[in-house]
Amino acid sequence: MSGRAAAAWSAACLLGVLLTTNPAYRALALAACLAAVLTGAGWRRTRPLLVGVGLAVLSAVMLNLAFSHFGADPLFVLSDGWVLIGGPWTLEALAFGLASGLAVAAAVLAVAPLSLLLEPHQVVDALPAPLARTGAAAAASLNLVPGLRRSFTAIAEAQRMRGWRPRGPASWSEVVVPAVLTAIEDSIQLAEAMEARGFGSGPRTRFRPAPLVRADLLLLAGAALSMALLVAARLLGQAADWLPYPYLRLPAVTPLGVIAYLPLFLPAWLWRSLR
Amino acid sequence: MALASLDRLSYWYPGSGRPALDAVSLAVDPGLIVIAGPSGGGKSTLLRVLNGLVPHFHGGRVAGAATVAGLDVLRTPTRRLARHVGFVFQDPERQAVYSTVEREVAFGLESLAVPPAAMPAQVEAALVQAGIAHLSGRRLATLSGGERQRVAVAAALVLDPEIVALDEPTSQLDTDGVALVLAASRELAAAGRAVVLAEHRPQAVLAAAGRLLAVEDGRLAPVSARRFQVRPAPRPRPVDAAWELRRVSAGPGARPVLEDVELTGGAGEVLALVGPNGGGKTTLLRCLAGLLRPLSGAVMRPPGRVAYLPQDPAALLHRPTVRDEVELTLRRSGEVPDAGPMLQRLGLVAVAGRYPRDLSSGERQRAALAAVLAGSPSLALLDEPTRGMDQRARRALAALVEDLRERGSAVVVATHDAELVAAVADRVVRVERGRAVDTGSPRAATAITLERVPAELPA
Repeated sequence: MSGRAAAAWSAACLLGVLLTTNPAYRALALAACLAAVLTGAGWRRTRPLLVGVGLAVLSAVMLNLAFSHFGADPLFVLSDGWVLIGGPWTLEALAFGLASGLAVAAAVLAVAPLSLLLEPHQVVDALPAPLARTGAAAAASLNLVPGLRRSFTAIAEAQRMRGWRPRGPASWSEVVVPAVLTAIEDSIQLAEAMEARGFGSGPRTRFRPAPLVRADLLLLAGAALSMALLVAARLLGQAADWLPYPYLRLPAVTPLGVIAYLPLFLPAWLWRSLR
Repeated sequence: MALASLDRLSYWYPGSGRPALDAVSLAVDPGLIVIAGPSGGGKSTLLRVLNGLVPHFHGGRVAGAATVAGLDVLRTPTRRLARHVGFVFQDPERQAVYSTVEREVAFGLESLAVPPAAMPAQVEAALVQAGIAHLSGRRLATLSGGERQRVAVAAALVLDPEIVALDEPTSQLDTDGVALVLAASRELAAAGRAVVLAEHRPQAVLAAAGRLLAVEDGRLAPVSARRFQVRPAPRPRPVDAAWELRRVSAGPGARPVLEDVELTGGAGEVLALVGPNGGGKTTLLRCLAGLLRPLSGAVMRPPGRVAYLPQDPAALLHRPTVRDEVELTLRRSGEVPDAGPMLQRLGLVAVAGRYPRDLSSGERQRAALAAVLAGSPSLALLDEPTRGMDQRARRALAALVEDLRERGSAVVVATHDAELVAAVADRVVRVERGRAVDTGSPRAATAITLERVPAELPA
């Protein structure tokens, strides 16, 4: 898979998420991203990410519900004695929080394939030439992540054997502090290794970037088509914004708006062979 | 003319009043030079002078002169010296930038803006030189430690350097991995390059060395190869059973790494587990420690504390002082929190009040040993305890294991280190492809892992 094709698809998804506040379109973008990630990476690899995304959505809903007291349909009223969260908790605030959560979830899943499905060097190859040096540094950082995870587990186990038990957040310092210190030492070692191999000499070249295959070309075409249709729909008023305040109403959906999102589902077909 | 020369070079790390290198003079000619010496003695610093990491990356003060390929090291940045000096670090996992073999090897070429059309041939040539052409296209995560270290060698060779510096390249490797790296070093030296190799334990590479030097307290001196010869001293003794694995199958996932392993160890017995990387030694130790639940079978442990020394134990250190680290373990295990005897035994009294991560690597290793093995564990499990250890820390470890044995602790050591096996083990078990085979006395085990050691080498 080409990093450029995946990056173009991610960009199209992000445009679809950020172009409008309409939750129906955001839900479409989220569905496309979810289908792509599950197809490419499978349920087992995606599960931790989905748990995190779920928590982010829940947080967005709860924060908006607790702090935004606008809207005509109160679900219940909390006494004003409760600082900040006191007042009516409304259906409109719940809906707006949900729409915001959808945007967060779709945005995270839109860029997830760049880390879940691509090698670090493929991400570097997707960047324009002036960013190659930054990209190489980012790829090196990504390469440290598996080691960091192993180091954290090894330290936690060894501390457990020394009698450490997880009792509240403060107790975790005995694992987190050495893990962080070790990660910093590893980073310095990696920086030294990169310097020893000429990193920072000047402009970089690239070793044999992966050629674009038919699936990549299809994905690039789909992403371009989706972006063009999204912009057109927006300019023609077919992907209008939505605001639940002061009265909750259903978001408007148009055929052009829906069609603009359909090419984003291409990876659900194209990435079946990746697993 | 020498490929590199150091002329009365002295170097002080930032904030240090003691020189890490003290008036070192050295001429580097084609061939294999082995540099031995204790941890913190100056081996790594000396190697880093060759490509300018010292002083350009680390800072500090320098006196004297150093030239490499006709360039003044003190005035030439590392990125420019990288064309002349390839560098391989100790841990292959901590020097990889990319995740696939060809791309990793090509990193140096990319950094020096070599035209893309010229890269594939250069990468292929480096892979062939390092003896890993067959690994082309593989992901690094799927390679053994020895293979990964060879990828690092290829990555250093790809720029066709005149000098290759290897900083303890075999300390993480099993016997096969050491043989791979050693063969690559020999081939490079035979091809007219200068290979400078720093090692705590040079036994495995002495057979191929052209010169042997030692760096101690920042000073360079010739040394006799006899100093590193190994004399196995097996001492079987009768013991009472303390722990047992009964038909244990185990692994981190659903697929077992160990299969139907039957093994028993005694109180006051030191059992060494040997075998290749990935063979199942660490899995066996983790089962015994209770960190990994067996998929089937049963594990019997003695009552009392189980001490577990992981690979890279220095990563554990986090308390403000060395004394705190030792006392923490003693307090948690319900013993009198008197760190004094342990600090005394490991020569750490002078640094007992210092922050462990500020110590030299050798002192840090001893601090970690003290922190983990303090007190009276009934079972002590040591996973590759001599990784990166210098001679002093190794002697301290051997004494500590002897002490544990005398006090009736059962000790299990997983190691590639034939010298350690010879020094401490009562019995040797080979763990390979998930099976554990008792090979009996340590003499048999060391005989198959040590290379011929020459009596003398030119200094």
